[in-house]
Amino acid sequence: MNHEEPFTNRNVSESSAYYYVDIETYPTAGWDKFKQVVKRTFNGELFVGLWVVLREMIKFDIHTVQYPLEKLPIGPRYRAVHKLLRLWESGYERCIGCGLCEKICISDCIRMDTRIDENSRKEVTEYSINLGRCIFCGYCAEVCPELAIVHGQRYENASEQRAHFVIKDDMLTPLDLLKAGEQAEYPGFGAIIPGSDASVKKTPLAY
Amino acid sequence: MINFTINNQPVTAQKGESILQAARKAGFYIPTMCYLEKTTPCASCRLCVVETDKTDGLILSCQTPPTEGLSVTIDSDRLKQERTNIMRLYDVNHPLECGVCDKSGACDLQNKTLEFGVSSQHFSAKDQPRKIEHWGLINYDPSLCILCEKCVHVCNEIIGDDAITLQFGGYKSAVIPKNSDVLDCTFCGECIAVCPVGALISSNFQYSANAWELSQIPATCVHCSAGCSLSYEVKHTSTTNGEERIYRVTNDFEHTTLCGAGRFGFDFAVEGTKKESEFAQATNALQNAKAIRFSSLITNEEAMILQSLKEKLGVKLYNEEARAYQNFMSAYASISGKLGFGGSIDAIKQSDGIIVFGGRITTDNPAVRYSVTTAARHNGAKVVYMHPLEDDLLQNVVTQFVKYEVGTEEGVIAMLAKTLLNHSDISEEIRGYFDELDEGYLCAESNVGDEEYAHIAKTFVRAKRKTLIIGSDVLHHKRASNIARLCAMVEIYTEFSVVVVAPSVNTVGVSLICGLDADNADENVLGYNAAGDYTLGSLGDVNLRMGSLNQQEGTFVSLNYHVLPTNVAVGFEGYTLNDLASSVGIMAKNTIDYTAKLPTSKGFNGTAFDELGNFFGAFWEDNRGYMLENRDIEANGQLEEIADLPEFNGTVVYRCNPVNQFNGYTARSEQLEKEATLRGSAQFAAAAKISDGDKIRIEFKAETQERIFKLDSALKGTIALVPTYDSTFGTLHEQYRFEKVKIMRMGSES
Repeated sequence: MNHEEPFTNRNVSESSAYYYVDIETYPTAGWDKFKQVVKRTFNGELFVGLWVVLREMIKFDIHTVQYPLEKLPIGPRYRAVHKLLRLWESGYERCIGCGLCEKICISDCIRMDTRIDENSRKEVTEYSINLGRCIFCGYCAEVCPELAIVHGQRYENASEQRAHFVIKDDMLTPLDLLKAGEQAEYPGFGAIIPGSDASVKKTPLAY
Repeated sequence: MINFTINNQPVTAQKGESILQAARKAGFYIPTMCYLEKTTPCASCRLCVVETDKTDGLILSCQTPPTEGLSVTIDSDRLKQERTNIMRLYDVNHPLECGVCDKSGACDLQNKTLEFGVSSQHFSAKDQPRKIEHWGLINYDPSLCILCEKCVHVCNEIIGDDAITLQFGGYKSAVIPKNSDVLDCTFCGECIAVCPVGALISSNFQYSANAWELSQIPATCVHCSAGCSLSYEVKHTSTTNGEERIYRVTNDFEHTTLCGAGRFGFDFAVEGTKKESEFAQATNALQNAKAIRFSSLITNEEAMILQSLKEKLGVKLYNEEARAYQNFMSAYASISGKLGFGGSIDAIKQSDGIIVFGGRITTDNPAVRYSVTTAARHNGAKVVYMHPLEDDLLQNVVTQFVKYEVGTEEGVIAMLAKTLLNHSDISEEIRGYFDELDEGYLCAESNVGDEEYAHIAKTFVRAKRKTLIIGSDVLHHKRASNIARLCAMVEIYTEFSVVVVAPSVNTVGVSLICGLDADNADENVLGYNAAGDYTLGSLGDVNLRMGSLNQQEGTFVSLNYHVLPTNVAVGFEGYTLNDLASSVGIMAKNTIDYTAKLPTSKGFNGTAFDELGNFFGAFWEDNRGYMLENRDIEANGQLEEIADLPEFNGTVVYRCNPVNQFNGYTARSEQLEKEATLRGSAQFAAAAKISDGDKIRIEFKAETQERIFKLDSALKGTIALVPTYDSTFGTLHEQYRFEKVKIMRMGSES
């Protein structure tokens, strides 16, 4: 019943590695205060810092990333704003509208509208993600059976509003980019594991 | 009682029960794919196989009754292997489109495939080209079909349309329309409900939502008096509109059956806002009103509010439909000594002899039709249909059609009662009454001969459980009271139980709760879903918009005297009748506060709304609401002399809605067919001097209608059918349903 967890003793004591910092007492009298200000102002500490800046400036060897103009590459597994991909050969949307991403989304920020199209196929007419609520967990990309929704590389989502949506048109690869071969496949979250072809079993077919 | 064992555990079965039924009742699990509790076993899936000690091979538990002392094994390794192989065969070439299939998440095949661990295809077959069929409200994808035959069984045994059949052709087999290229049926959609996979699906619903996204609102259908249980399935409208809307209606298909109006006619919700100026006007109108006219599309609670308004403000209450029913039942009770009749829809299903009198039940009340079909198919019931018009939809089940002349219902029921009471033990006085009937006159005027009654008598000699179904034609007959007394005679002195088919969803409730006055069309009438000087409600172009019946919670009383709860499926922002009543001092926080206050003198038991269940148990236990108590009352009624039978000559029309149309709500529904023509036979066309497609003017006593005439080859005789659902309030039962009218071809008069 009286079970005790073996906690590490972090209490401050004589035997511990902690020690009290020796802090000078602050001056209280007006004259003492004045003397401290004068001492701090004229002992030249300011110029030490200014010299470092001046030295680095005239070296012309700056490592700072010029952020809005220049961006660091991010890892392929980074989970930024989503993209909807198209099939390479036909250009059709990969999304079949199964609704699994909508179901699995733990912050309930995905919604889609589907309908039956003229060819009796399921068509996704609208798809939206509320980035204000999205926690970029990547479950949607992981559950997607068609590798249709993936996390892209765009990580900037500053917005004037708390509710900030991406809609289907924002996310879907434009056809001209697809034709130009610029749709990127992401090896990141939810992608096929390398070498998984070997584990696919062939279905017997009677042809 | 039969005692046997399952897996060495003792089990008892009732006589007539199969091994499967007994096992399920005892809590044993036997998997099935094609079994439906309400039909005869399809016996197509063979998953329910079991081993016994008295047979060598495996037997189908769904269609085999146990014998005394039988030892049954339901889960041996051999059975498991057998069942797994069946599932493997089901999965051969089954399209891997669960991602888009509407059934995904609620699919028997999916569940059983996972249950038996079929993760890959072991067998192969050359797939066949299969075309997706579009049958109006129903889409059929043969490649998803597993040929379980549930749809065929339901269509044939329960519905009676007999519209689909199986085309046998080995691996090419498919469900096809019977004797037709396209599906020609009443579109009840029950085949969609029972389909275990996504092969049969509502074309309107297909690909619009997934099963797991929809919330189910248990409710009661508002279209006819059967009070069928259904679930409104709701979800947000779209990505940009968070308001919930109804995507589809489903039913607990093991226990209930739904018609097309219930299944497809769900989109009748209205929108409303709260505007204080409008509300002030309504309050004013209510305070000045001398009477309130209302339709029976109303909950018991609202009826109770109206009754309170009557008591407090002294207004009159007009509802001709419910008043006719009230009068009919009070005349009935004056003979039977009971508040209500003894039959029910379930009693019809159990019957082996049925007489349908004075009502076109196929369109008036499909639930009654389905129970008649069930009785005919399962018990071999003899069905006598007595009506001036033959009904094409009943031709599969009717064993004797008795055609009588319009208006002669009193004579016919008197002769029928005489026939049925022939061998009953009745008093000298009643015997004398029937002996004194002028048979020659009644038979001649009603055009029903002695031999037809003799045939009826002969038919029912052997029947044990008999039902007399009284249609709603007689409610507005001039001699309705005497007809009611004669019907009551049949119930108390013969083995027949009687069912009176109430016209609208809550005619029965209104007739019990409200004190109704004769409608003398005076001024200052407030109309609630009915005509008036100031109108409220959800139908037509009203002054103050109020919610439809799927936007309200409350209860109805079905024709079975069953108090049934219904819930809010779609929100409504506007005012309710309760708000209006509260403004004149009849205070209640919610409309459903009145549920517990419904009059106990009429058999209500005072249960509060939130205490009412709305579901079926696994073994047909009906946990929906409660049954009204059938109270005894004084039986002091006397039979009256039969009045002279009226004659209806010339062009007579019968107020009768087409299939799946009932009221202003169904008229508003997007999916249901909205044919509003005058339908008549070639004989009628000749008599009225009109032809197919003519634009005509029909002069009724009270009004004039302009319609198109449509020649209907399924009809016979000189009576045409005129719909009423497309009028402003869609009311059918405000007067006698037959009327002699003048019909003129428009354009020819000039």
